[in-house]
Amino acid sequence: MRTLFSIALTLATSVSAYGAGDVEYGAYLSSECVTCHKISGSAEGIPPISGWETEAFVAVLNSYKNNERDNPTMQVIAERLDMEQMEALAAYFMSLGAEED
Amino acid sequence: MTKISRRQFSGLLGAAAAGALAAPSIARGATPKVVVIGGGAGGATAARYIAKDSKGAISVSLIEPTKRYYTCFFSNLYLAGLRDYHSIGHTYDQLATNHGVNIVHDWASSVDKGARTVTLASGASLSYDRLVIAPGIDMKYDSVPGYSVEAQSKMPHAWKSGTQVQLLKAQVEAMAQGGTFIMVPPPNPYRCPPGPYERVSMIAHILKERNPTAKIIVLDPKEKFSKQALFMEGWEEHYPGMVEWLPLSIHGGITSVNPDTMEIETDLETFSADAASIVPAQKAGAIAAIAGLTDGDWCPIVPATMQSKLDENIHVLGDASVASAMPKSGFSANSQAKVAANAIRGALTGSRVFEPRFANTCWSLIGTNDGVKVGASYSAGAEKIEVVEGFISQTGEDADLRKATYEESEGWYAGITADMFS
Repeated sequence: MRTLFSIALTLATSVSAYGAGDVEYGAYLSSECVTCHKISGSAEGIPPISGWETEAFVAVLNSYKNNERDNPTMQVIAERLDMEQMEALAAYFMSLGAEED
Repeated sequence: MTKISRRQFSGLLGAAAAGALAAPSIARGATPKVVVIGGGAGGATAARYIAKDSKGAISVSLIEPTKRYYTCFFSNLYLAGLRDYHSIGHTYDQLATNHGVNIVHDWASSVDKGARTVTLASGASLSYDRLVIAPGIDMKYDSVPGYSVEAQSKMPHAWKSGTQVQLLKAQVEAMAQGGTFIMVPPPNPYRCPPGPYERVSMIAHILKERNPTAKIIVLDPKEKFSKQALFMEGWEEHYPGMVEWLPLSIHGGITSVNPDTMEIETDLETFSADAASIVPAQKAGAIAAIAGLTDGDWCPIVPATMQSKLDENIHVLGDASVASAMPKSGFSANSQAKVAANAIRGALTGSRVFEPRFANTCWSLIGTNDGVKVGASYSAGAEKIEVVEGFISQTGEDADLRKATYEESEGWYAGITADMFS
């Protein structure tokens, strides 16, 4: 019980380090993502993005924004996302849960 | 520079919208009504997002004559034999069952902007608080002398998907060995800027397999075209000696086409085709002009909401609109639909309105596993949709990257069709 509690506390801390994303704003912003990233089902050629942890989600977007990852479509999309928007997107896609094949 | 935060921005818009627009829906009954004309990438997406996100607070009707919609995007892959016909067809069943969209399989024949009603070919009429029109394109047949509705059975434009594309495929496959296919691309602006050149690539792909001594001549009314360096490099690599592209300055202009003799006359010479695709100049789908929403051939819009500049109760999406920097593509229409859907929900139900943002990517296939792309993000300027940042594939990219780009396009097709129809 104590272990579970401390895990929960750790997760809560790591999420709050990024701030609580605005899910409704994220839902609007996500409409730009789901033209290519399918919300459900397997995604061939384009990876699924639902259910990720906020930290990983924001880190990947930032790596496109900084041109550390090289897909130009994603670089252009990430370029104009600020932290508030990335967190909103992360919160929304997290709320959908992981994709199932 | 003073910045208004997004929350302030949406709050201002939302307050303005609620004040100005609550009245009509109350006057007309409890549930505001949205009618969407056209079930393509713009219309289907708008209907789906308004219905899905308003959760019953807005009644949405989608008017679309065809029961099975064949996408223009990926129709070139069907031409090449890389996709079966069925795989590019989609129905509207899930929009009805999943989101409660009222699907009306009929033609919209007129719009009464004062009474806010749409009359259908059947004679029935639908009233609206907001109307979305996404009618795609119609052909300006007389832009090519000798071309006509009748001529399109001999020299298909195939620039609307469905039976025209099937016809073109059959005619290319029936070409005599060593015969000539002639492609006449349209002048700017037109649906799918790289499309004519992807079509040339995909027809070269089938001819290389079935008819390797055949030739392809492109009689272009332009001096340059989308992804030109990429296509020309790819044609030389995959189909050496097969494709000859002649710009306007070389052939001097098309003076007539004759579907009976399959001849195409230019200032330079008269070309004889075994099969041909003539794509004339284009204009907004007919209902746009009937409804009085056009200025010239296309519909001017307010970038932030995609509202018609000629009627604030009507939004115009996709190919029919003057979207400035955004190309006429399915991706663009889908992107614009989401901006319009957000604005319409805000106006009719007071939901939060967020800052408009647009994006587009156009993938093209040049040869087996050789995909390229061009794309950009866009913002809504006061008068025009403006480019924020763009990109394009480079010549000389390695085969692995091109294959990944092609596979990405397959993923996009699955994504956007789910985003339109599921």
